[in-house]
Amino acid sequence: MKDLALSAKSIEKYFHQPQTFQVLKNINFEVKKGEFLALVGKSGSGKSTLLYVLSTMDTDYSGKLEINGSPVTGKTQNELAAFRNAHIGFVFQFHYLLPEFTAIDNVMLPALKLGNKPKEEIREKALANLDLLGLKPQAEKQANKLSGGQQQRVAIARALINEPAIIMGDEPTGNLDSKNTKIVFDIFKELAAERGQTIISVTHDDEFAANCDRVIELSDGELV
Amino acid sequence: MKFKIHRYIPFQKTNHKIAITHLTSNVKQVIVAMLSVTFGISMYVFMNGFMKGVNDTQTGLAFSTLSHVRIYNDLPEDNSNLLSRYVNNDVAVNIRNPKVIQYTEGIKNSEKIINQLKNYSEIDAVTPQVNINVFFRNGSIKVNGMLSGIDVENEDLLFQTSDYMVDGDWHELNHRNDGIILGQGLAKKLSLKVNDNIIVSTADGATRNYKIIGILATTLASVDNSKAYIKIGTARQILSKNMGYVTDIQINIKDFNTATKIAEEINPITNYKVEPWQEANGQLDAANALRNIIAVAVSLTILLVAGFGIYNIMNMSVNEKIREIAILKAMGFDGKDIVEIFLEQSIIIGILGGLVGMVFGYIISSIVDNIPFKIATLDSLPMEFQTVDYVMAFVFGVITTFVAGYLPARKASQVDPVEIIRG
Repeated sequence: MKDLALSAKSIEKYFHQPQTFQVLKNINFEVKKGEFLALVGKSGSGKSTLLYVLSTMDTDYSGKLEINGSPVTGKTQNELAAFRNAHIGFVFQFHYLLPEFTAIDNVMLPALKLGNKPKEEIREKALANLDLLGLKPQAEKQANKLSGGQQQRVAIARALINEPAIIMGDEPTGNLDSKNTKIVFDIFKELAAERGQTIISVTHDDEFAANCDRVIELSDGELV
Repeated sequence: MKFKIHRYIPFQKTNHKIAITHLTSNVKQVIVAMLSVTFGISMYVFMNGFMKGVNDTQTGLAFSTLSHVRIYNDLPEDNSNLLSRYVNNDVAVNIRNPKVIQYTEGIKNSEKIINQLKNYSEIDAVTPQVNINVFFRNGSIKVNGMLSGIDVENEDLLFQTSDYMVDGDWHELNHRNDGIILGQGLAKKLSLKVNDNIIVSTADGATRNYKIIGILATTLASVDNSKAYIKIGTARQILSKNMGYVTDIQINIKDFNTATKIAEEINPITNYKVEPWQEANGQLDAANALRNIIAVAVSLTILLVAGFGIYNIMNMSVNEKIREIAILKAMGFDGKDIVEIFLEQSIIIGILGGLVGMVFGYIISSIVDNIPFKIATLDSLPMEFQTVDYVMAFVFGVITTFVAGYLPARKASQVDPVEIIRG
């Protein structure tokens, strides 16, 4: 039990617009710590919806969700925000950096928000993360002056800053060319293998999925 | 634990940093928002200063001939039915050709009242007057008017009469029992000038000859066309009254706005009518109040428009940054943080706009203060510089930006990150 990063029990979710429709049907699965998991499925299968439920951002579901051993179902929005800040890192299809901030400021932001380390320490850590992703020379550049691949790597560095239990990716390579896709994938692989970082990523890239530790496929809202 | 302390500071450092970055990365928009506050606040300062200036000028002009409080004999009472006090209404009374045999005119023992008045610390100056309705005559020209017997020095203290002299010297009247000072209009009607003689006759048939020693022009034509001044002793002489007889006691107090209150305080020491200026000249008081209402209404409307300006700009900013807001929320910033980030921006805009607005307001006021306007005693447009206007403008400005900024900030805090990120 102790080495579980995430456990989902009988997750169900409905969309009510334009008409009531069940997107997720009785989903049960567990993710071990250090696992690199790919969520795949056809468009409309509910894989992204599931990811946002798992990310705690979407609270409109029934069932039980535990992350890192603590139940998150039923918490208030503000509690969940604090929980995400400390335990979950995000990498989205579009990088979603704050464009007016420098790369390093973007990376530091979640840690500054968490606020349990002095600023200098956070800065060093952010720099180390950027270095790990080969972006040290770009640290002081403004985010909107970086290339797409660089921005996505900054987003990964940001996701890592609070040493989260899980990194969640929503098609993190969906917007990148094959070269950058490979770079990002290798980074994920390395994080999982060498640092024991749990990663859950939605993808429709078969090659990406094939190289993961485990693949979960959704079809019409059910696990296959 | 040591490093968690700043979590309890109301404005989080991180939120502050984001707010400042947003502001500095969009200077143009910030300046436009700031200008709307600046405009509102400078207009508030200008409008209120100008209205206060106009009010003070208006009141000042009125007080050149009007005292703050006046004591006089409110006579005679209605004596047309003397029996009404003794018989009921159901008794038919028929009185023909009633004649009033005796009634008290003017104020007796004025010295006593004046001495008592001098004990009040709020009272600035007191002057007795003997006012008589007379005919002024020069040859065959006859003009109806008012002869005012006055205490030369105290009259000047109350009304600064000596400032309005166009010919001759006011204080000369002190030494001239046969001297008279005429209003400019009156002198013109009678075709008289300084050193000419004038004949004055009263309703009781007394006639006197005086020498004109001065001409004066106040701001009120009605006064200038009908009024003349002589020494109070000389006036008593015409009426054959003894020392101490006066028709009016005029009082000026330190703050004319308190006239009603002070009139009430004075009331018990005399049986005569004590009348504050507001009662005698209700229209002045009403005009002042109305002008103040207009000034406040106009300036608050301008501030409201400024508020809409800020609301609009902040709303645009929230819509522009909606993806950033979503990502901040995904990363763990809660609704309160988002409100702080956007509210801080509006408040900074409000404070900067307010400070510039106060300076601008001062500049506009100074310019208007120097615009020539040569009517009555004015040389330029009246303007009052009051700290309270600046403080109020700033406070209202900041409150407006706070409200105008809070609404978009709250909207930002309610953004659903899933909806935005999934597109």
